[in-house]
Amino acid sequence: MTRAARIFAVENKLGQIAREPGGRRPEDSIKAADGRIEAARGASIAVLVEKAEQLGVLVANRQGNEASSLDGLYDISNAAYGLAGTFGLSALAEAAFSLCDLADHFRSGEPANWPAIEVHVDGIRLLANLGDKAAELGAESILGGLRRVRARVLPPA
Amino acid sequence: MSLPYTKTERVNLSTAEVLLACGDMQGLNIMCEMFAGFGVHTPRRCQTMAECKAVAQERIINLMVVDSALNDTDGYEFISWLRRAELDPNSFAPVILVTGHTRPSQIFRGRDAGASFVVAKPAAAMVMMQRIIWLMNDQRKFVNSPGYCGPDRRVKALGPPVGVKGRRHDDLSGAVGMATTPNLDQDEIDALFNPKAVAS
Repeated sequence: MTRAARIFAVENKLGQIAREPGGRRPEDSIKAADGRIEAARGASIAVLVEKAEQLGVLVANRQGNEASSLDGLYDISNAAYGLAGTFGLSALAEAAFSLCDLADHFRSGEPANWPAIEVHVDGIRLLANLGDKAAELGAESILGGLRRVRARVLPPA
Repeated sequence: MSLPYTKTERVNLSTAEVLLACGDMQGLNIMCEMFAGFGVHTPRRCQTMAECKAVAQERIINLMVVDSALNDTDGYEFISWLRRAELDPNSFAPVILVTGHTRPSQIFRGRDAGASFVVAKPAAAMVMMQRIIWLMNDQRKFVNSPGYCGPDRRVKALGPPVGVKGRRHDDLSGAVGMATTPNLDQDEIDALFNPKAVAS
């Protein structure tokens, strides 16, 4: 016999606590949060460069452990995507997202197209090292190349 | 984008117990900076599902923000566990799921895990604050069923779609039946709009 669904009210404790006297105006909270995040920009870009290097190591050491290499590539590029997006590094975020697509596609069974992955990793390394200057130093042409590779290798979405 | 709040109102998260979980260390640091800006003093930082479980089992948490990628598993897994763990009140606590790249196979898992909200990366402070304010006012009921456990996913109370029979015992039928009692006369209708004390 299947169990019937139960639907019940729950106490909104967050609402009670957040309405206690004191606190900050939401606008002030957002400004403070943005300021603190911006202060972490330098450290975060350094971490992105590290992650890009880790991607290179995974690609270089893929012989014999392709499945775990693809998992690692996916996890690192996914983290890089979130971090790059937070700091407005849109070209790097797009490249990392595209590598997530590739890694996820190839770990689902089809033989991996390593040249396509290597091109992405090279692009990500370049974009991470360019950091904030990527847009003015030709990020669009790097992205154009990656988009063409992705379109050739992956089925259309 | 505007906030659903007036200029003078305040949000006090200084005493709120907040769990922040992300598998990536720098991602977690950024989340902590954001919530420090919101006035959260000592968030519980977690990188794995095991750490999340330990925190949820040992203290009352008022808000959880969970990345879809934890170090040992997916964030979805933790949220599904939490909702069914019968840890009162933590199993009913608001959970914001933060997603990065989402595999096609994971889209439905995110929906079905029982998160109160799903926020896509990059999660800006403005978006996160909007979601927190929304959750402060959240009156949704909690659903516990074999297929789903979490806040009611029907955010708007518009009833079932037209022409579809509601699945809940309190969903009303769209068909209007015949009157079962006599119509009110005009004096009775007037009294509803303009009640007066009657001297006994």
